[in-house]
Amino acid sequence: MVSLFPASFTRTRRPGDILLGIAGGLASAVTLLALGCILWDLVRLGLPHLSWSFLTGEVTENGRSGGIGPILISTLMILGFALAFVIPPALGCAIWLSEMVRQGSGAARIITGSVDLLASVPSIVFGLFGMSFFCQTLGLGFSILSGSLTLACMILPLLVRTTLSALQSLPADLRPTASALGLSGATMIGKILLPAALPGILVGITLGVGRALAETAALIFTSGYATRWPESPSDSGRALSVHIYDLAMNIPNGSGAASASALVLLVLIVLINTTAASLAARWHRRHSAS
Amino acid sequence: MIPPSSSDHGPVSSCSCGGLTLTGVSVHYRDFTALRDVNLTIPDCGITALVGPSGCGKSSLLNAINRLTDLIPGCRVGGSLRDGVGTELTDPTLDVLALRRRIGMVFQKPNPFPHSIRRNFEIPLREHGLPRARVREVMEKNLREVGLWDEVSSRLDESALKLSGGQQQRLCIARALALGPEVILFDEPCSALDPISSAVVEEHIAALRGRVTVVIVTHNLAQARRIADRVGVFWIRDGAGTIVEEGEVETVFGGAKDADAWRYLAGGAG
Repeated sequence: MVSLFPASFTRTRRPGDILLGIAGGLASAVTLLALGCILWDLVRLGLPHLSWSFLTGEVTENGRSGGIGPILISTLMILGFALAFVIPPALGCAIWLSEMVRQGSGAARIITGSVDLLASVPSIVFGLFGMSFFCQTLGLGFSILSGSLTLACMILPLLVRTTLSALQSLPADLRPTASALGLSGATMIGKILLPAALPGILVGITLGVGRALAETAALIFTSGYATRWPESPSDSGRALSVHIYDLAMNIPNGSGAASASALVLLVLIVLINTTAASLAARWHRRHSAS
Repeated sequence: MIPPSSSDHGPVSSCSCGGLTLTGVSVHYRDFTALRDVNLTIPDCGITALVGPSGCGKSSLLNAINRLTDLIPGCRVGGSLRDGVGTELTDPTLDVLALRRRIGMVFQKPNPFPHSIRRNFEIPLREHGLPRARVREVMEKNLREVGLWDEVSSRLDESALKLSGGQQQRLCIARALALGPEVILFDEPCSALDPISSAVVEEHIAALRGRVTVVIVTHNLAQARRIADRVGVFWIRDGAGTIVEEGEVETVFGGAKDADAWRYLAGGAG
């Protein structure tokens, strides 16, 4: 519902209020300026390199020339596998915490504590763990599979937390209502609670995708550097963020291609975010009161 | 054991085995006794109103009847609750999901699922084994039953939350009726509604007489007198709720023998 009083600011002509208004406006301008500078820089340096052949072409001269085709494919494969690996356990864990154990019980406290601890682990540590466990112990080597499993571990706490809070913010009386209709726990969770919590879960997935696409440290040690076309998940594949890092840090005259790649990464993130947002909007049209 | 439920979804035309006999029923929440020694006969296909001040255990009694008390940590139910064919409802081996299909419930706050109107029927009906092809027919029949069909038939795929409070509550009644229950428990079904919606909902509850056994908790004494056949008055005795007066509506309202019940009913009626 739209409030009759949309602006809560008092709008008097007192000097303090006028000053506060100016300060607020300036602060907002800084935010806009930051985004504007980043975009300007990327467009200025990157746009001349952008072309269809850049998006689809092979990497040549370590990225100074050619395109980023194999890297885009590797990135999407890493992301896809990471989501496939992380969504089932994250939903399972959140459902268990929200619907199956008593709030505040010892088991629930241990699990939520572990989730929060996992969330605060720096990504470089995930990278080292992924290298020693997935690459070496499980023998997956430098591969898209190792990289996506490592990312899955990294996103897991984020997705558990957002799903958990989405489930917990549902109206409490949905549960007794479902029980009073003789619905089983599985039906209540699968057909009522999870669909109702979907927008919150989508937000969690979007945040997770953002973190995964931005991740460099955890991927350098796990999915590796290879710039050839990936043929299977067990091939090594270079992620876009790793490619940008490499071009910017290690390749002389690589900054143009780095900016173009960064621009592609940004567009990719915006595309994924708007898709998720439109899915959530479609959900709202079908499920909510407004 | 529960007899196999009738395949006919929706209120049955002639009532059977829908009465309840409560003997010495108590409800405890850990160390707290909410309800003690309740004896009550709920007649088949009649409307029984439960009245009394808040905190006397009326809702606890409803929750004990359809075993929602099982879901409350630390809650215990004592005594005996038997249905019309003598099944002990407190039996721990009873299939509670089947029981809750036979004993439906409508809550104080209208609570449609945040899905389309159609899904609100489809989910429970499919859960209880109705073929998909029959869902629409059963939904339509029960929405007509509560006078909602003409208002919603053109927007069955829109969110049920877009309906007004009164429409939502009638949807909840239709959803409970759709499972073909023998008993429906109403927990203050009108108290969250405006007077006009409240009157419409009340009318539809009254229309269930003779087809479904109705137990209704209400704070509206005039409403209890209008729609109920029998009434039970709850009061606190020795720190726990119990029924202090019970009988035909006119007898109890005309002159309750219990002093507290008499004052309560007289105050409400006056």
